[in-house]
Amino acid sequence: MVWGPLIAWYLFLAGASAGAFLTAAFVEAKYPDSVKMRVAGRIIAPVFVGIGLLMLMIDAEAGLHNPLRFFWLVSNPGSVMTLGVYFICIYMPVTLAAAILEILKKKVPKWLTWIGIVFAFAVAAYTGFLLGVVKAYPLWNNAVLPILFVVSALSAGLAATSLVGLVTDRERFEHMWLIKKSHVILSAIEMVVLFTMLVIVSAGSFEGAASVHSLIAGQYAPAFWGGIVILGLVAPFLIEGYPVFIAKRVETSTTSLVVSLIGEAGVLVGGFLLRLLVILSALPVLFL
Amino acid sequence: MARYGMLINTKKCVGCFACRLACQAKNHLEPTEAFIKFHELETGEFPNVYNEIVPTQCQHCEDAPCAAVCPTHATYITDSGVVLVDPEKCIGCKYCMAACPYGARIVQESTGVVEKCRFCYENGEPGNPPACVGTCISGARVFGDLDDPESDVSQAIAKYHAQPLASNLTESKIYYVR
Repeated sequence: MVWGPLIAWYLFLAGASAGAFLTAAFVEAKYPDSVKMRVAGRIIAPVFVGIGLLMLMIDAEAGLHNPLRFFWLVSNPGSVMTLGVYFICIYMPVTLAAAILEILKKKVPKWLTWIGIVFAFAVAAYTGFLLGVVKAYPLWNNAVLPILFVVSALSAGLAATSLVGLVTDRERFEHMWLIKKSHVILSAIEMVVLFTMLVIVSAGSFEGAASVHSLIAGQYAPAFWGGIVILGLVAPFLIEGYPVFIAKRVETSTTSLVVSLIGEAGVLVGGFLLRLLVILSALPVLFL
Repeated sequence: MARYGMLINTKKCVGCFACRLACQAKNHLEPTEAFIKFHELETGEFPNVYNEIVPTQCQHCEDAPCAAVCPTHATYITDSGVVLVDPEKCIGCKYCMAACPYGARIVQESTGVVEKCRFCYENGEPGNPPACVGTCISGARVFGDLDDPESDVSQAIAKYHAQPLASNLTESKIYYVR
């Protein structure tokens, strides 16, 4: 296998960072009073992508030993990785500036937020395209994967930010229906997109079918069903969906707090495992 | 300008691994590292089944996926069509390894640089012949200029109707007799 957990961490953290920045922008627009959650999203964004980049550098061993080589990364615009570097070069300083402004209790200018929003989407999407353009791996080389990664990134960023909101500012958080609804809907979309990808990939080629088989019935099945499907998608969908769409009441009990925490943490675990398993289970088409 | 390529005749290959060993010695590789991989296949349909040994290495593609995805331009193609890695530019991101349809690339343990067969390229010219060709005990390997119809490699390709591994997927320059 070419890549491993370090790259999975990067893909997850970059996606979650973008999702957190977008969540903060959404909270600012719809719930201007929810300061803690907005600040949380703004801080999570640069921290997550920063840690992710560190993982990337550790994985790129030749560059780690000769850091000046990383400057060459801008030289091939035909490579999705280079495009990603361009996006990060704008996204990272923007999120950092936004976070610093929040910490200094200054207002983040609208234009800065908008640049951040555009590049957050670019960063979330490029992590999918990075794998998507690699023809050799059918599990990656399909049009659904980048969409799956974007949806999962939004969901993970929302979860990371919600986790902080839930702990620090619960009363307000429980009233943020739009956030809760988005979360449920994102989980539902992600389930559909994941299902679509697996069906299409397994129908496309022998190697694709073998990759999908290793996920749903092979060596990765426990992590896939337990981590991605149940913990990362179904449980959060039910946990968030029940109070929002069925009970329709504001929860205040400690039990619901714990259950919600499990739901949000589940999304994060599922988001990471999704990247990890997509990387590990992909089998190349070999020409012999 | 020459356009270098190779022919590998799997019908002559006895699977002795001499080419891999010569390559490792020539390119200063560790015993665990190799630019040449051997694939043992069961080919044909019963009762006409035979054991086929297919040595693979960098196919020096004209349309090289590794060079296309390399974010630092460490992987480049010389005017004579040899795909090379500039070890001073490689950061070891392994994107090229993922992109290569032939699984030809390895990470060098000592440096973290991703490397592969370079046709024994030195001082602006490929080996004459490369180590694997020179050492092959059965003459299964032929190296030369694909653009010169009189070269040994062009003659051999014509004679055996040799084909690249994946037809014209990447316009590779190693031709196989199967």
